[in-house]
Amino acid sequence: MNRPGVTFNGVWKKFRRGERHDSLRDLIPSAVRALVRGRSDELAAEEFWAVHDVSFDVAPGEALGIIGPNGAGKSTVLKLLTRILKPTRGRCEVRGRVGALIEVAAGFHPDLTGRENVYLQGAIMGMKQAEIARTFEEIVEFAGITEFIDTPVKRYSSGMNARLGFAIAAHLDPDVLLIDEVLSVGDARFQERCVERMHALRASGVLLVFVSHNLTAVLDLCNRAVLIDRGRVRFDGHPAAAIQEYRRVTSNRDAGRPADADIHLAGVEVFDDRGRPVQAIDTGAGLTVRIHYKTSRPVERPHFAVDIHRGDGVYCHGTNTRLARLDLGTIDRDGHIDLVIPHLRLLPGCYSLSVGILDTHAVKPHDVQFHAYPFSVTSTCRDNGLVSLEHTWRVPDAQPARFSPVRTDRTDRKVALR
Amino acid sequence: MRTVSVLSARLVADVRDMVVEQREYRELLVRITARDLLLRYKQTVMGFGWAIFMPLVNTAVFSVIFTRVAPIETAVPYPLFAYCGLCTWNFFASTQRFAVVSLTSNTSLVTKVYCPREIFPFSAILVSLVDFAVASTVLVGLMAYYRIPVGWPLVFVPVIVAVHVAFTAGVALFLAMANLFYRDIKYLFEIVLAVWMFATSVVYPIERIGGRLGTLLLLNPMTPIIDAYRATLLERQLPAMGPFAAAAAVSVALLAIAWLLFHRAEFQFAENV
Repeated sequence: MNRPGVTFNGVWKKFRRGERHDSLRDLIPSAVRALVRGRSDELAAEEFWAVHDVSFDVAPGEALGIIGPNGAGKSTVLKLLTRILKPTRGRCEVRGRVGALIEVAAGFHPDLTGRENVYLQGAIMGMKQAEIARTFEEIVEFAGITEFIDTPVKRYSSGMNARLGFAIAAHLDPDVLLIDEVLSVGDARFQERCVERMHALRASGVLLVFVSHNLTAVLDLCNRAVLIDRGRVRFDGHPAAAIQEYRRVTSNRDAGRPADADIHLAGVEVFDDRGRPVQAIDTGAGLTVRIHYKTSRPVERPHFAVDIHRGDGVYCHGTNTRLARLDLGTIDRDGHIDLVIPHLRLLPGCYSLSVGILDTHAVKPHDVQFHAYPFSVTSTCRDNGLVSLEHTWRVPDAQPARFSPVRTDRTDRKVALR
Repeated sequence: MRTVSVLSARLVADVRDMVVEQREYRELLVRITARDLLLRYKQTVMGFGWAIFMPLVNTAVFSVIFTRVAPIETAVPYPLFAYCGLCTWNFFASTQRFAVVSLTSNTSLVTKVYCPREIFPFSAILVSLVDFAVASTVLVGLMAYYRIPVGWPLVFVPVIVAVHVAFTAGVALFLAMANLFYRDIKYLFEIVLAVWMFATSVVYPIERIGGRLGTLLLLNPMTPIIDAYRATLLERQLPAMGPFAAAAAVSVALLAIAWLLFHRAEFQFAENV
């Protein structure tokens, strides 16, 4: 076997609306045709392309995020990769040992105990009995259900189920790990451990394909992202850029929505202090958030709001034009407003912007987009916590030479102990 | 000519696939079988006793019918005749009962995980085979009770079991696949199974039917298989070679065709559950 990898080459997959056959009368001719010629790869009536000429390659050590709106074909792509579905046209190939997590507890049987299910699920994922036995303790400990391991799974909470499922997959030791939206289960602490584990797997050279609606997680975990929309690849590249594109695609589509709101958001751009669009910002650097809006009727004294959350949901900062005592008057045409942050004092990590247009009292929203614009903060600063507070260390009666002052890129002076 | 060579190349590739997959996933087959066995008798008091209980009760009922109500001549004591027929028929019937729903009851696995789908009907066979083994201990007991001597034709039994399993597997693959596309199969096959039992020499020798219907019933491959068990186990004779060879050929051909069809349809399963 050659080196692990994923090849998706001009893959098409069709689905049928409604049921397959209505009667035995239809079945027999179509079965005979299928036998003689193989399945037809042309579209028949009631069929549509769920995946439309999709191509990408993933190399070992890469982590590919697949994002896109609901029904775009993301999960179909993943099912094609896991061989659950077979492409109508094209070639899709996964080389190396594959671990797939389409649904964490797919193989669990409610009447079996946790222990029995670990062995069953392990076998489903292609582990040998000896391998499972070797990692058994670790799996149970990772899932945190040591005392319930001999209880039937039907008495588990859904969180325990998901934890056990992920724990097995995480100890699978695969070359290629395919994951479909598993981070939505379990409590915050467990999700954190999942992400940690996936980081570790990736660092050890595992190829990761990750389908998610959690854009912040994609940004955090992946070094590349593919945007799929209506079965086609719309974008393939840096995750942040893919997310930007995703926002653009969906907000364009939203533009066609009924104008029940007099004013609505038409997009958000993020610039650095030189006016270039960015997705990654240095701690302490300047940042401009440009909010575009469209109006269908004059709106009296609206307010604009921006919230920043960290990837794990911590609320970092929120502000709006009302708090700034800004009176925007009556807005009667499309335009934009900028929020300028001269020094972004956030420590490295993944963050997301939520933006909204509120009424005169900044209470009722005209339009809001939550966590719509993820971005990452990078820095050489290794401080802990949420924000980078300006600080210096002062040691009485000592030579300052013992400490080496470190200037972070654009931050004010800081001194770090080494 | 080209079509033929393309088709045969595809056939070879498919067969290789089928064998390689089964070897790769043998662990899973064992696990799924263990799961089904465990589930079958979990929370039951009698456990494996159920594998014996059903054919025993049936034997008692048919013994009353065919020794008191409508006595018939059999080469060996009737209860022995009936139990031998019932426990071998039971293996076939209970496999089908499990196999027919094997894909539809494992929906989450069929749609969410990749594995060769043959595993589900195959595990139905293995589970029933374990029951069959348990039930045959009673047959041994009955043979001892009636002081039936055994002879060298006994060496033929593994061949009969192999043919029996092949035929059962062929039908099981067809049923599992068919029920996935048409849920009517589950109901239809219960009726067919009941009729089929009385069209096979399970509780009476099929020759007694005679006439044109009797000739038609000779086409049933289950009869030579069950008759072969009786001949080798109870009568110290070789099976009637003509009918048995025909049944064996049908079984092998059926299994080959069913498996190949199953393998080719496999990729549509996830879309049709």
